[in-house]
Amino acid sequence: MASDQAGDVGSVGREALAYADMLHNLAHYLAGNEPDAQDLVQETYARALRSLHQFTPGTNLKAWLCRILRNTFVSEYRRRRGSPVVGGLDTVDPVPDVADREIDALRKVMADEIETALMSLPEDARAVILLDLEGLTEVEVAEVMGCAVGTVKSRLSRARAALRRRIGDAAR
Amino acid sequence: MTCADARDLVLAHQRGALTPGEDTAVREHLAACTTCTRVESAERTLTEVLEQRLPQHPAPLALKRRLAAEWPAPPRSRTSFKRFVMPALAAAAVVLALTPLLYHRLVVVPAQRDALVSEAVNDHVRVLLSQRPMDAESSDIHQVKPWFGGRLDFAPVVAFGGDAEFPLRGGAVGYFLDRRAAVFLYSRRLHAVSLFVLRAEGLQWPARRLETSSRGFRVIAWRAGELGYVLVSDVDAGELRTLAAKVMGEPA
Repeated sequence: MASDQAGDVGSVGREALAYADMLHNLAHYLAGNEPDAQDLVQETYARALRSLHQFTPGTNLKAWLCRILRNTFVSEYRRRRGSPVVGGLDTVDPVPDVADREIDALRKVMADEIETALMSLPEDARAVILLDLEGLTEVEVAEVMGCAVGTVKSRLSRARAALRRRIGDAAR
Repeated sequence: MTCADARDLVLAHQRGALTPGEDTAVREHLAACTTCTRVESAERTLTEVLEQRLPQHPAPLALKRRLAAEWPAPPRSRTSFKRFVMPALAAAAVVLALTPLLYHRLVVVPAQRDALVSEAVNDHVRVLLSQRPMDAESSDIHQVKPWFGGRLDFAPVVAFGGDAEFPLRGGAVGYFLDRRAAVFLYSRRLHAVSLFVLRAEGLQWPARRLETSSRGFRVIAWRAGELGYVLVSDVDAGELRTLAAKVMGEPA
């Protein structure tokens, strides 16, 4: 029995380590600097290992690790940074119209410009954009963010609209 | 359907996450509404830009090594060891002493296979860490493949030129073990996938398709005629299999 459990740990561990790049990328865009990103990833894996018994086999390991990383970030890093968290993204305003020049700006944006625009958004906006980009479902993003699915939908929609606007503003 | 309803559903529509009824309603609305069509176009473009141009920050190798050292390796079952492995090893020792051919198959071949996997992961990491753009940076396979002409002593046969799921980012010439290889770089969302194509002659290439993982990366290797193919990435195993099927030209 103990051997089976240990075997599970090894098996999940191999799979978990495959997400190191993804988690580091998410950590980098949350923390905003390399040393904190590395610490955040290392602490995420340490916490995951300690609470491995809480992971349900067959569920999404990637989403589970993202949730641990995000919770670690909130509890350990966000407080001392004092940066904006949600920044008005939970409004129910409709998605605004889009001008053709906004689409043109998107097509021409360079890598460093899009990174700067993304980093100018509040942390939760960055998180939902990246988690969505990683292929997590709205339900999984909601579990990671600790909010309702409806909130994820509106937050993602507003976050992407805000990102488009910032890219458009930078292109002017 | 109102514009507000349609815009709320645009992302789910693009990801194929709507019910058939909702999807039809969104399509009909977009066909009749130019302002919402612009929103849809902007969302699609933003997704492409994020997937293809947002700088990626993969975990440094030193961090991966630390993580791998801290995470427990799968243990060996003592019960199994006593009951099965010990007798098997004893039998194997006899067989190995008697038959060099079996020795080659049981010892040399796995070692060569491990070397191949290790080389593939190292080369993929080099591609990821390289600050230089790909030598032939193009999403058009008909520009990338001709670029190899005169740079390789074989023609890399790759039918898959990328698609929305796995866009092609470019190609380059690299070294794989003792020979030159064609390197094709694809993307899967934010992840990079390297495809190495090389002459397999003289190498102990796996007789059957090899699927394994090493240092957090997944590897699929196979042989087609004289050429060996290796795919490496940190994407999910299923996604890498999907790309392998496309490269091999297997029907979806």
